Amino acid sequence: MKRIFHHPPEPATGRRYWRGLEELAETPEFKSWLEREFPEGAAELQTDGVSRRNFMRLMGGSLALAGVGLTSCRRPETYIVPYTKSVEWLIPGKAVLYTTSMPRRLGGMPIIATTFEGRPTKLEGNPLVPGYNGGTDLFAQASILNLYDPDRAHFFQENGTASVAEKFEAYLKQVRSELQQSSGASLALLLDEQWSPTRDRILKKLQEDFPQARFYYDEPLGNDEVNAAVEALFGPDVVLRTNLANADVIVSLDADFLGLEQTLDNIKAFSARRRVQGSKETFNRLYSIENRFTITGGMADHRLRCPVSQIPSFAVALANKVAAATGDQGLTSLVGQFKTTVSFDDKWVTECANDLVARKGKSVVLLGNRYPAAVQALAHAINGALDAFGSTIQVLSAPKIKGGTIQDLAKDVKGGTVKRLFILAGNPAYTAPADLQWSEQIQKQVPEVVQLGYSENETSVGVRWFVPEAHFIEAWGDQRDPNGTYLPVQPMIQALFGGWSQLDLLAKLAAVPSGLEAVRETFKVFAGSGDFEEAWTGFLRHGYVADTAYQASSAKPNLGNISAVLPSAATLPGPVSASAMEIVFAGDYKVEDGRYTNNAWLQEMPDPITKLTWDNAVHVSPVTAKALGLAERDLIEISVNDRKLTAAVLIAPGHAEYSLTFALGYGRERVGRVGEGTGFNAYKLRTTKALYFATGVTIKLVQSDAHKLIRTQIHHSMEGRALVREGSVEDYEKNPAFAKKMWMDAEIPPNISLYSHPPLSAPNQWGMVVDLNTCIGCSACVVACQAENNIPIVGKDQVERGREMHWMRIDRYFSSADGDMSNPHLEEDPEMVVEPMMCQQCENAPCETVCPVNATVHSEEGLNVMVYNRCVGTRYCSNNCPFKVRRFNFFNYNDRSVLDKIEHGLPGFQGKQQLILGPLASWGMDEISKLQKNPNVTVRSRGVMEKCTYCVQRIETAKISQKIKAGVTGDLSLPTDSIRSACQEACPAEAIVFGDTKDPNSQVFKQRQLAQGYHLLEYLNIQTRTSYLARLRNPNPKMPGAAKIGRINAEHDGNEESQEPAAAVSPTSNQPKEGNA
Amino acid sequence: MANFFPRWTNYLAIKIVFCLLVIGGVASAAYWWYLTPEYMRQGYQPVQPVPFPHDIHVTQLGLDCRYCHSYVQVSSASNVPTTQTCMNCHQQVQKDNPKLWAVKQSWETGQPMHWVRVHQIPDFAYFNHAVHVNRGISCVSCHGDVNHMDVVYQHEPLTMGWCLNCHRHPEENLRPINQVFNLDWKPSSGESQQQIGTELQKQWNINPPQNCAGCHR
Repeated sequence: MKRIFHHPPEPATGRRYWRGLEELAETPEFKSWLEREFPEGAAELQTDGVSRRNFMRLMGGSLALAGVGLTSCRRPETYIVPYTKSVEWLIPGKAVLYTTSMPRRLGGMPIIATTFEGRPTKLEGNPLVPGYNGGTDLFAQASILNLYDPDRAHFFQENGTASVAEKFEAYLKQVRSELQQSSGASLALLLDEQWSPTRDRILKKLQEDFPQARFYYDEPLGNDEVNAAVEALFGPDVVLRTNLANADVIVSLDADFLGLEQTLDNIKAFSARRRVQGSKETFNRLYSIENRFTITGGMADHRLRCPVSQIPSFAVALANKVAAATGDQGLTSLVGQFKTTVSFDDKWVTECANDLVARKGKSVVLLGNRYPAAVQALAHAINGALDAFGSTIQVLSAPKIKGGTIQDLAKDVKGGTVKRLFILAGNPAYTAPADLQWSEQIQKQVPEVVQLGYSENETSVGVRWFVPEAHFIEAWGDQRDPNGTYLPVQPMIQALFGGWSQLDLLAKLAAVPSGLEAVRETFKVFAGSGDFEEAWTGFLRHGYVADTAYQASSAKPNLGNISAVLPSAATLPGPVSASAMEIVFAGDYKVEDGRYTNNAWLQEMPDPITKLTWDNAVHVSPVTAKALGLAERDLIEISVNDRKLTAAVLIAPGHAEYSLTFALGYGRERVGRVGEGTGFNAYKLRTTKALYFATGVTIKLVQSDAHKLIRTQIHHSMEGRALVREGSVEDYEKNPAFAKKMWMDAEIPPNISLYSHPPLSAPNQWGMVVDLNTCIGCSACVVACQAENNIPIVGKDQVERGREMHWMRIDRYFSSADGDMSNPHLEEDPEMVVEPMMCQQCENAPCETVCPVNATVHSEEGLNVMVYNRCVGTRYCSNNCPFKVRRFNFFNYNDRSVLDKIEHGLPGFQGKQQLILGPLASWGMDEISKLQKNPNVTVRSRGVMEKCTYCVQRIETAKISQKIKAGVTGDLSLPTDSIRSACQEACPAEAIVFGDTKDPNSQVFKQRQLAQGYHLLEYLNIQTRTSYLARLRNPNPKMPGAAKIGRINAEHDGNEESQEPAAAVSPTSNQPKEGNA
Repeated sequence: MANFFPRWTNYLAIKIVFCLLVIGGVASAAYWWYLTPEYMRQGYQPVQPVPFPHDIHVTQLGLDCRYCHSYVQVSSASNVPTTQTCMNCHQQVQKDNPKLWAVKQSWETGQPMHWVRVHQIPDFAYFNHAVHVNRGISCVSCHGDVNHMDVVYQHEPLTMGWCLNCHRHPEENLRPINQVFNLDWKPSSGESQQQIGTELQKQWNINPPQNCAGCHR
């Protein structure tokens, strides 16, 4: 007798979840999406040029030519090729792990690299470094693919023709002798922001050799304003770092401290204060004021949508309230110097300020790093009034080498004082403010330009010397992490194409030893007393030196010095309107400022908020779009003063009105095969006066429905199911197990199954818990899984068909407090939740029973095992999976190129677009791409299903290690928590916990005991091994709208204490009706 | 009507069916016999660049397997020795023997030797040498009596069924741990392999994986 589940219809009012606006619109397109997982014609090539008939003809012909059959029955010979001379420490088949670190803007990120036979395949965080416990972000995970980028620069170039390193060294010697005569007056170095003691030492040597040489720093997303403000307030050589472990209340003014402006220890500290392991006592509270949804805004308890140009005004309003509440004189006089015409919801600002002041000493106000220095100073003044310095904000003394900005460099070039420009980082021809006209006006004026570049880019035109750059994994160096701990940068592999690192070039210019010797020289400062070699070996082995963090500085904020930065922004921008909108040049979550545009993993990864792939677009709020008559996929022309650009429109829920967000980093003209033709170039609108945002913007519709934006967000709808379960902290206090019996789980029917339960006889039973409370949605786990498991990319048009191969995905849901579908303002101000989804490893898996060839079976340890060689590609398993986490390899994504571009003229695309040509594409993976593949995981071919395996290769490796160690003893028990899945290891927030559910000492055992845990779709009796911990929000009861926050699943509650009006929901709709056959 | 069909067509259908059955049976039998790993691969003895004789080096000279296959106890792959290992002796021993010319060439030019691979399983199956060798399975169980081969040939079929057979009955191949690299070991007259194997399995807690994830990852 078939069990029929009667899902209650989604109520017309009450709290609702919706995935995308198309769902709300109930368009026929969306309905057809819902009906099929793979939409129309999924299994056919749909191109104009190649019809099925032509295809069959072509294939038939080539088969005949290939002489299928009897050409040779001999077994093909394969070879074993050992080394000629044995290599020390190298054991074929065994991974060797080395420590290193990744240079980043705010400080190095500690890394452990896994290498097989001398080639690195995976990067993880370094759990030994204090304050981290491992964890990375998605740029660190994706950077391994950058190492093996086929579009990397391969050779030195002099004036455009290939050359060799020796000639460049000779050139440098000549440059050096010329500079010595002029004491460096004509030399300019353009660098990136890095915290590297060796680089500082070499730069100091250069300063000594060439006292008149100048340094400049080029970071489009960087900290120029912050640095200026900090220097004005605290003096030179001071950095501020937040300490969120101490913060009870955090107000984020467009400060994406969990996203682009993150440091790992901040994410960890924030997550630690949100993790609930029994009591909500230490739960913090986050207020976010921003114009667009950011990762930080998604975690916020209270969120206010506010155009970016008005955030300084909000800061003023907040400062006024804080000054009034604390009576701080310095703040009062400072805030009086700002003039603004914008007002905000008074209660919102007042209660927010009161909350901050009530927790003085444990609260902090964070401002985005690209606001003018005057506003930064104001934010610091507020923090001073809140006694944040020394508590939630650390004032640290950190030496820095000063340098100018790119605008200063442009001025100096125009002034004729720069004869030699060394561009050692960045891509100024692409990223410099558009009004500088870098390529035409600036770079051409410099007689000799030397560029150190990872790949040839827009800046490489007309340079005297192009030097291929070594990846950080190929070079020696050092870093200090954001708190100052000294980290090594160790090479794992010799520079694949003989490239030089930035340190190599600087060292050669300064005529000091480079590479290993340079770092050892710097290490003398950090080695401490005791044997140097022992300290050095320990340094490389552990990946850090203890007790090298920056010392606390005694500097106090000196508000009197504000005048140094104040005149620049005393009168704040006014309100925005339809005729004077603002545009915000945000960094992108995937390509940052454009440095990762050619990274295929990052391009294909769905943007954490918009789920957009392979593209960028202009984000517009739904209300603004309606007012201006825009729809998604329209092409609009944006006019910023006298600059115009055409770009596509994306409707973004939760966006502020009359504000546009345009991510930087796309639309590059000279980039490799991956980045070609992706997105629109926002840098063209960005000028010196408007580096972060511009006001007075108008737009004009050019063509409607003209540019397809490929998002993964509408593939799977929640349809009223309580997949993400959320509550407020009060709900949790009242009933900690509120999440367990929601919706259909209120009454779980007995498990009457035709199939026998798999024998779970092994001593280890694997399980996983994902904490939705700490998951920020950064998607580092998605890229980590892709790196670990050899998951291919599929290209833009295949993502459109729903064939992206990510084994893990992050589902992002918006929810509205008032679910009345007829409310026209429904989409305006939602909340956001995220949910990582991977194979749930169900014990009663629906997929196992329907495989006709038994390619997916259940192991005794509770894993749902996928056997690739047995799979014939029926796809019935994916059909049956209630979570749709199985991915099918439609075309041979690994061995056939997915990046072919042809002009196919399909509606919605212009010019050459990606189209997978399947068997008509060229065969073979780039040799260099093969180097990244993890040898412990099968590389799958066409026609095979794949899915998350709980990193079974790591589990088996651990079991084998234990058996080898056990030898002839019988002790096969694995040490507690010795296996970490790739996603767990990558997560900066420690949201994913994997381990042995039978081991009472393991973390996962303890997490499964927590009251707020629940399983997805538990009423189906599939008994998932993965469970989730419900999301909690901590609203301030005095804030407006607090009653509606975190009340998401209220009408799905199984118990009677729902606060939502029950009238809209019929009393029996939550109970399954009696089923009959 | 007159007899339309000649008389011999009466039994034609049966004869055709019978012939097809015979042909089908013969084809199946031929496939079953000739196209199986047991026939195709067992006995495979490719020509190597240097006719390295295991019998001389192991049996006559007494080299332990691990002198050359040095990582078999720690790694998934048992390595083939580097040219440097060969030259440890052959810098002096038999240094003018023409059979060793390829090794000398490799050492002098730095180009590695290309040994032809004899034992191979598909890439989607993962075999780990170290765990077998450390847990009482000798080289001879899978590779045959290599110490008596002059040129290596494949002794066992190395099919999945053959692997599973041992995984289900490990007592047929377990031996005392100090005899793993003694390829000539036979159970002493007192006990049979079964007895010794069963005893060791209990002592050592031998539990080979029988689910797919054990080897297919």
